[in-house]
Amino acid sequence: MSQSEKSGQITFAMQTFERIHPVEFQRRFLTQNTRLSGREFSQFRALHIVKGSIGTAQGSATVRMGNTIMVCGIKAEVCEPDVKRPKHGYLTTNVELSPMCSARFRPGPPSEEAQVASEHIHRLITPSVDLTSLCIEENKVVWALSADIVCIKYDGNVLDAAIVALVAALENLKLPEVKVDPATGVVEAGAEGGVQLGIVRRLFPATFALVDDNYLVADADDAEEQMTSASLLVVLDDQGQMVNVWKRGAGIISRDTIAKCVAAAATRKSEIEHALST
Amino acid sequence: MSTNIIDRRRINGPQRSVEPIYAKPVVAFSGDGRADGRLPESVRPIFMRTGPISPQASSAASPSGSAYYEQGRIRISCAIYGPRQGRKANPRMGIFNCEFKYAPFSCSWKRSHLKTSDEKEIGLMLEQAVSPAIRLEVYPKANVDAFVTVIESDGKAATISAAINCISAALVDAGIELYDSVAACSVALSKDLQWVFDCTQQEEDAASCSFLMARMPSVDEVTYLLQHGKTTPKQTADAIHVCTNVSTQVYAVICRHLKETLEGKNESDQ
Repeated sequence: MSQSEKSGQITFAMQTFERIHPVEFQRRFLTQNTRLSGREFSQFRALHIVKGSIGTAQGSATVRMGNTIMVCGIKAEVCEPDVKRPKHGYLTTNVELSPMCSARFRPGPPSEEAQVASEHIHRLITPSVDLTSLCIEENKVVWALSADIVCIKYDGNVLDAAIVALVAALENLKLPEVKVDPATGVVEAGAEGGVQLGIVRRLFPATFALVDDNYLVADADDAEEQMTSASLLVVLDDQGQMVNVWKRGAGIISRDTIAKCVAAAATRKSEIEHALST
Repeated sequence: MSTNIIDRRRINGPQRSVEPIYAKPVVAFSGDGRADGRLPESVRPIFMRTGPISPQASSAASPSGSAYYEQGRIRISCAIYGPRQGRKANPRMGIFNCEFKYAPFSCSWKRSHLKTSDEKEIGLMLEQAVSPAIRLEVYPKANVDAFVTVIESDGKAATISAAINCISAALVDAGIELYDSVAACSVALSKDLQWVFDCTQQEEDAASCSFLMARMPSVDEVTYLLQHGKTTPKQTADAIHVCTNVSTQVYAVICRHLKETLEGKNESDQ
């Protein structure tokens, strides 16, 4: 810790200042219209997607956005369908924010943030996939997919990363050909990679955060999220139509700004599309 | 048939679901004809990475040290926090805690979200294997916490030894004072009574005995030893001997990586 006194003014090393006064530290950047990461206010972090990264899962993807890393793995099992929906399979999505990824989370049951993320993603993805494509035999056997999105490193904006990881893993999903023995009801899987899940629409998320009540930044990192008073999630589909707009927090975002965010989300959509196709 | 436990804090699937029955390939398990063409004493290629990906913009809540470790198909990520204040405190010595978790998709079958007893057991094994290397007496009243997540596993004993190596690297990254890094390796006894290193899940299923050793090579001390299965005392002595050699090789790989990382860091500082 270097500390020197020059003409009555105390100066610190940058890291020391960041630790003892994180808000003031961030504010110094924001007032100069810059961010600590060197990004523009409207600039998202670059996306890196690796599909099929996990051999033990039927579908998987790893997504990296700066220092945020999420892995999504899908395990496929078979089960009896719901009586009311005899042709529909199951898709469950859970977000895991363990203490490994950040000191903000405690071991044990999922945190509030993880539960909210799981629930929101589940509501987004269920109408976006064709669950009837998971039917093996009507009224008897359907696929039950469980998609788990595990955070490996946490540096803000996990919701975007989680949605992209889930979409990439669903695209990667390959279900084996199965045969149902009519006498015993035993389900036998044959060659890998027979059936694919019907995806109605892909989701392209973009999150904006109102930092320090004044500055609207795209894709906030962890330090910026700590001083966020409101955040806006815009999810678009393949055609660029709005699927979901979610504004959280009490901070005020004007209507004009929301319109600008939706326009910026369209730009982000093409970035995500490009990352998904590689 | 497995019954899924309903967890109100998670999205639940159907109450009962099973894995379809996959046709399993038959593995001829012997030392000189391994499925992936390895030699009996060769360990799968190791890749690791310590610390954050981009050093700037690392938040205050990010761990003191972290490591990502690959060994063949095994992928493990580990984070170290501390020395920090914890719930348990010993006024003389620091305490090393380890939480071990398999990701739900990391094994050939679907794992529960809830912590199972085998995860607890492995966590305890990791604690016992690694803590002799830590200079806990220099951290009185403090806790050093390790959180390990298995992203993909391939062979239980190999996964545990990979986790030990991963924690060792992460501890160095966190700047925790150590006597030495712990390097671990695993062997299994094949049909032709040969010790075969670093077995995959298929090989492990066909083996009659599995053996795991963790060791501090530069002080030549064993920190953990575990054997499952039937051997003669001579075979066990052999296993200890071969594991000693291979753990030294694994140690060299870890050390080379840490040295390269350190040199890389020095360059970026200039």
